[in-house]
Amino acid sequence: MRRVPTAAAVAAWLLPLAVAGGGAAGGALAADMAPAGDPVSRGAYIFQAAGCLGCHSNEKEGGAPLAGGRALATPFGTFHTPNITPDPETGIGRWSDADFIRAFREGLRPDGAALFPAFPYASYTRMTDRDLLDLKAYLFSQPAVAAPNKPHDLTPPFSWRFLLPVWQWMYLTPGPVPDDPAKPPAWNRGRYLVDALGHCGECHSPRTLMGGMDAGRYLAGNPDGPDGDKVPGITGAESKGIGDWSDGDLTLLLETGLTPEGDVVGGAMGEVVRNSTSKLTADDRAAIAAYLRTVPAKD
Amino acid sequence: MSNRVVNVLAAASVAGLMFALFGMSAGNAGAADPAEQVKDRQQTMKKLGGGMGAVAKFVKNEGATLEDAAKGAEAVLAVTKVDPKMIFPEGTAVGVTDSAAKPELWKNWAEAQRYWSGLQPVAEKLDAAVKSGDRTQIAQALGATSKACGSCHEDFRVKKN
Repeated sequence: MRRVPTAAAVAAWLLPLAVAGGGAAGGALAADMAPAGDPVSRGAYIFQAAGCLGCHSNEKEGGAPLAGGRALATPFGTFHTPNITPDPETGIGRWSDADFIRAFREGLRPDGAALFPAFPYASYTRMTDRDLLDLKAYLFSQPAVAAPNKPHDLTPPFSWRFLLPVWQWMYLTPGPVPDDPAKPPAWNRGRYLVDALGHCGECHSPRTLMGGMDAGRYLAGNPDGPDGDKVPGITGAESKGIGDWSDGDLTLLLETGLTPEGDVVGGAMGEVVRNSTSKLTADDRAAIAAYLRTVPAKD
Repeated sequence: MSNRVVNVLAAASVAGLMFALFGMSAGNAGAADPAEQVKDRQQTMKKLGGGMGAVAKFVKNEGATLEDAAKGAEAVLAVTKVDPKMIFPEGTAVGVTDSAAKPELWKNWAEAQRYWSGLQPVAEKLDAAVKSGDRTQIAQALGATSKACGSCHEDFRVKKN
């Protein structure tokens, strides 16, 4: 019936973008290459690309989707993921748009306390306001589940929440990273998918003693990944990376989990393929490959 | 030496021979060498992977012919028909040489078995797709087969590196 969007609708779209752009010098165009749609369906795609489902559901023990409760064993102790359904008491149903953006951008709860970086906000901070608000619209369209959060079981000093601002000062650079105009759009899109949404570096980069991503070993592999698993490097290195993989090898792995040797990935990456990368568009998988190709080799 | 002793010795040696023959070839007799069984499993998985890899090479258009893909799909199908008890005999979990099978595989044997029996139908589809020669169909069937492999790897295989 109505082909031309109303001025109000246009303003509703542009306003958050203008805010994001103002805060982040230039704004990230790569974020706008996601499949078009209404906020909820767009948010559903962001939700998959950002891989939220896996950690926020206790699938193995029959927990409801997004109701949290999954135990994440890390070298710093065991985290229990929180409920992110719109339940007002036990979930995030009372969070405002500003609360939601602040959690992802600055790693802060609505009450101002710092969030543990097991919630990978050092990566998600790069998400645009529009992607965050669409993600929120999607999450709030999901069924509310009453399931109280379980306390984390961490080893001091990592359990001391008051130390987190120091961590954030060291390892969190808030806000989206502007597109690099010298690089093709697919590369910028790939970087956004890898660094902001996919938060690949959270597992594929090693961590420092303080638990931050080791920037000097970006995507070079992590000997002590989630659940004690060794996570392979995905830089351009030949043997300890993907330097000898073809573009087809990379996109087929992201789509099906199949490696060039004919093995199928399991563990955490199996879950990532199942919940996230297999659900992306072929263009987005190609963009990830295009970006990873250019990550400097580190053995 | 009494007849009786001779008989017992003979029986014992026959039994030993039988054990040596069947114990080795069946690969899953209770007293078989777990290290050998792990090696056997790795060979079987290699065969499976080789088959998958050949089909993948065709799908990616990286030098494999349709004939290579057909051989690959046949190899995959052949492995999926093997009784999972032969491939995953008890006592071959992590700790036995470089086994990558989590003990949970045996603790949740019904689930593991269900995963395994899910392989054959998708492998049959893969085989049929390769025979049809349609690359899109082959790619889809390859994806479905990978998914079936991945579900078991995700739950029951430790990370190797």
